[in-house]
Amino acid sequence: MSNRKQVIRARNIQKKYSGQSALSGFDLEVYQGQIMGLIGPNGAGKSTFLQAVLGLVETTGELEVLGLSPKRDRHELLKRASSITDVAVMPRWMTVGQVLKYVEGVHPRFDMNKARKILSNTNIQKDSRVRTLSRGMVVQLHLSLVMAIDAELLVLDEPTLGLDLAYRKEFYSQLIEDYFDGNKTIIISTHQVEEIEGVLSDVVFLNKGKAIMKESIDSLNTRYLELRPKAEFLEKAKSLKPIYTRTELSRPVYLYEDTEIQKLETFGEVHPPAIADLFLAIMNKTNQSEEGS
Amino acid sequence: MNALKAIILRELQEHKWGFVYLPWIVATFMSLVVVLVYLGLTEVNTENFKFSTEIYSDPDVAQAMKESTLEQRSGAIRAGLLVLGAPLVIALGFAILAFSLSTFFDERKDKSIIFWRSLPVSDTFTVLSKLLVATIIAPLLVVPPLLVLHLISVMVGSIFFVVADIVPFFWAWEAYPFFDWIRVILSLWMQSLWTLPIITWIMLTGAYSRKPVIGAILPPVVISLSEQVAFSSSTFFDAVMQRVQPWSRSEAFPIEYEGLRVAEIADIPLLFSLNEFWIGIAVSIIFIALTIYFRSRSDYSSVE
Repeated sequence: MSNRKQVIRARNIQKKYSGQSALSGFDLEVYQGQIMGLIGPNGAGKSTFLQAVLGLVETTGELEVLGLSPKRDRHELLKRASSITDVAVMPRWMTVGQVLKYVEGVHPRFDMNKARKILSNTNIQKDSRVRTLSRGMVVQLHLSLVMAIDAELLVLDEPTLGLDLAYRKEFYSQLIEDYFDGNKTIIISTHQVEEIEGVLSDVVFLNKGKAIMKESIDSLNTRYLELRPKAEFLEKAKSLKPIYTRTELSRPVYLYEDTEIQKLETFGEVHPPAIADLFLAIMNKTNQSEEGS
Repeated sequence: MNALKAIILRELQEHKWGFVYLPWIVATFMSLVVVLVYLGLTEVNTENFKFSTEIYSDPDVAQAMKESTLEQRSGAIRAGLLVLGAPLVIALGFAILAFSLSTFFDERKDKSIIFWRSLPVSDTFTVLSKLLVATIIAPLLVVPPLLVLHLISVMVGSIFFVVADIVPFFWAWEAYPFFDWIRVILSLWMQSLWTLPIITWIMLTGAYSRKPVIGAILPPVVISLSEQVAFSSSTFFDAVMQRVQPWSRSEAFPIEYEGLRVAEIADIPLLFSLNEFWIGIAVSIIFIALTIYFRSRSDYSSVE
């Protein structure tokens, strides 16, 4: 990754809200071309970090986004970084055409023709007021705007919250097929982990304001494996010290870290774990080691 | 420049009722009043102004009109139009008040502030653009309906004078002060600057307060009452009240106006010579800086 351009560099980022830590020494490096997923429970600090990246909140520590200080150079940064969040509500009184016109006026990298073309493939009418659109359509409009901006970094904070399944699928497929070109960088946080795991190139797991694991998806798929052992190999599988055990249809499923696939395959069916399961395993492991120390 | 145009357009789209429709509605209503007056169906009576066809039945009035100089005619027409246009200016005042109160509050209330702030427009630029809309653009938007009201009034009056055989058709047109428009616009802009501390104060409360109406009213009331109780004086209250008056008629202004004499362009340098004027500007700058500060602190938690 070192030959690729660094897009985000965060070192020892700290943020407290009324005495409570939202981020406590968070480190992260994001490089051009990555689609980085921020995975963590509520209150883990995902939103706070993404707000810091966009210069919305002030944090301590070192934070550089596209070589700029998000708080100090916010205006310059926003020309190069776009965002969609469930908190950012489009003005309900505006028509779609008025929103497009406004963004065209204020954003030097917005391509009106591209936005119109993207919108022509949807049910969204230019004269419709935002208030008359469904939540899914509003997100679709926001995505169309963002896709028409030639940004280097896209920050997505729970972008599909509250959308039904069809819209969520459509959102991510459009994002990857029509927007992402390998030169752009996306950082995304969502609760619906299972929907983005096929999209991500890298993940960072957050808990209590800290990164508890950072890996590329490729590396995850080789380092972590799940085994559904056959009944007769249960004890042998256990002896290989899985880091996490869950139950599926009353049968145990073991998750291993840095264990050879060949060894596991003799005991049953092996495949890479789902990110959600891996997250629970890593969180469990971290909690245990914290309790131990 | 594109960004400024986009912001101004957005503000006018959002506040079209106050800034675009309302002046035209009031101008239409006043035009109707003018027509009804000349038809003899109604009359306008204020403390300083009587607008009725009754006065023309007096042969002395008709004679005086015939013999009047251009200057006298012009003065009378200007004074008359000033009164007819007053409701438009009052409507503008209310539109600016509503705009100032809501412009920074509504974007927090409907959470659109996070969307606006996700685009490359600085808070300083946004605040100054909105201020430009309230103080410069909104007064300009009153001018076309005011002009139409004037032209309709002069036209209807001229027709009436011909039909009633008082003076010829062009009697009023010859004296109509076309260049007075520069004075009207400048005077409205001076009013914006004179009232700026109030406009910026209201904008500021919209930017930080959860209840902007209470936030705007309560502190001045508390300060006024405290001053009254502690010092038995009303300096603060008087200063505030002066700002809601027409700039040339406030007590601070060195010239005393009688009746319907209108403020002249020559009065503007006098306004600039007042300490009160510059104190108002200085206070406004503090309020603007605070508004920028509060807006720049908006994050998810401030809208959730």
